[in-house]
Amino acid sequence: MKLEHRAFEYAGTGAFLASVEPFLRSGLEAGEAVVAVVREPNLGALRDHLGSDGASIEFWPAEEFYLHPVRTLKDYQRIVASHAPRRVCALAEPVWQGWTPRQLLEWNRYESLINVVFEGSGARALCPYDRRAAPAHVLDQARRTHPLFLRDGDTRWNADFVDPVTFGTGCDRQRRFPPPRDADYFAIEDADLHRLRAFVAGRAAAHGLDRRAAQNLVTAANEVAANALRHGTPPMGLWTWPDGPDLICEIGDHGLWRPSPLTGFIPPESALDRGFGLWTVRLLVDLMEVRAGWNGTFVRMHMRK
Amino acid sequence: MDTHWPIRRPVRELRPGDHAWLAYGGEEERRHVVGAFIGDGLAAGAKVVYLAGPAGAADRPRMAGMAGSHDARLLTVVPLVPSGEHAGADEGADPRAALDALTREVARATADGHHAIRITADLTWAVSGPDAPVPLREWERRLGRAIGPSAIAVFQVDRRRRAAAVLDELRAAHAVVVTPDPEFEDAMLRIERTFQPVGLSLCGELDASRHTVLDAALATVLSGSDRREIHLDLAGLGFIDLGAINILADVAGRRADRGPLVLDRMSPQLRTLMETVGWGMLPGLRLGAGA
Repeated sequence: MKLEHRAFEYAGTGAFLASVEPFLRSGLEAGEAVVAVVREPNLGALRDHLGSDGASIEFWPAEEFYLHPVRTLKDYQRIVASHAPRRVCALAEPVWQGWTPRQLLEWNRYESLINVVFEGSGARALCPYDRRAAPAHVLDQARRTHPLFLRDGDTRWNADFVDPVTFGTGCDRQRRFPPPRDADYFAIEDADLHRLRAFVAGRAAAHGLDRRAAQNLVTAANEVAANALRHGTPPMGLWTWPDGPDLICEIGDHGLWRPSPLTGFIPPESALDRGFGLWTVRLLVDLMEVRAGWNGTFVRMHMRK
Repeated sequence: MDTHWPIRRPVRELRPGDHAWLAYGGEEERRHVVGAFIGDGLAAGAKVVYLAGPAGAADRPRMAGMAGSHDARLLTVVPLVPSGEHAGADEGADPRAALDALTREVARATADGHHAIRITADLTWAVSGPDAPVPLREWERRLGRAIGPSAIAVFQVDRRRRAAAVLDELRAAHAVVVTPDPEFEDAMLRIERTFQPVGLSLCGELDASRHTVLDAALATVLSGSDRREIHLDLAGLGFIDLGAINILADVAGRRADRGPLVLDRMSPQLRTLMETVGWGMLPGLRLGAGA
């Protein structure tokens, strides 16, 4: 069954309730698993408004649910899988405030990836966009990431929708700077990655990452380095440098790799799937960027303290 | 407090003059350790003397199996005649006759020109317990005299039948306790077989450069066991890479009809990693005992 992924714009709680209520009620009436991930104060208003009719709805505060795009995709995937074969009807309002421009870009990409990850799930998703609070470019991007738009009670096909591969390619085209000249460097010359892990762990501790973040970064860097050793072309190495609160760790080699813009974003079925490694790297770090071209393959990982 | 822990030594590190004890918990463990002791000895051209218990006739083919493809003439199985005073076939033999037999065999081997001599015996019938004919400490002393200063001996006690007291006595006797040889060991990683529960213990760091040894160790433990659960003791594992997690999931998936791979005593960091990935991604793997 095909995914229905639609967005709508609203201004004020009244307009919000007027649009989401018919959607949620239709899900309840059809016997679907209804999930509502909503920001306050809309969450409280929605609960009050539905009263006991909303008793079977699974409510989540958006502020707790939307912390990391790749983890959020995984969480939604778990919800869909846990209710199968029932269809899921999800009211899904991401958080659009408080992110850096780079993080916002990843949340836009997340909205686009929904179309791929849940393509055949039969799920129905409605994404509210607060016209008063969301930045203008967020509203622009919503038109590119939702194939359906709800306006005045009618759902229409959205002509501005861009297919996720094209959208992802656009995200990756962002200008990026090479590592600064004073970045710490570790040459990867040995299949034994123990020293590399010690190097990353040392930089993580010096940057003030907590144990868990440090361990996650070490595991992620180890995986990317192992991939470089397996598939890449020497010389290869690892750079680390601080960027504000972030510790950045980049691994580069001189091989030519042409990853799909979806690489590592689609949750695997299990640890046995190809792609489990890169997906887990995306899960472990705050942000992973891939730059691959004729001058080599570079994987940059960000970890915030 | 004056606590003396026994010296623990893997089979391959036993030294001339050691008379080590193995308190085994099952036949699989006994075969693994004693088999390595006999097999290593024969491979190195040592004379191996096996003192069979009162149930020795049944034990003989098993011991021959442990000898593997080595020169069987180097292996001598000494039968022990059960003493009439005791009832069960398993329960009684004359300790003095046992010691005499050992002394005789060692003397004969020495006279035959063997410089390296290995001795092994299952002494479950003979030691420990309040009603044992001779206490273990006394056995230690007498065996030492019978064997002489240069032979290596491994004495076995079934700890299921002689209870925890055996371990305390071994400790009190300052005995050497023999442990299985590690399946793999280098500067970064040690993999050992475990028998209660059946599985492996991993210590150190596990990354792509050691995936093949993990594969091999898992294959060994799986081929020898039709048990439902296989346990991995991860208490000493400081790092595991994603590829190794993939290998564990693969192994677990292939034996899914028999039972899970249980991951015991994971460090908080390892556990966090598994939880970040999600147990749903790891079918057939199960969180076991805590750290």
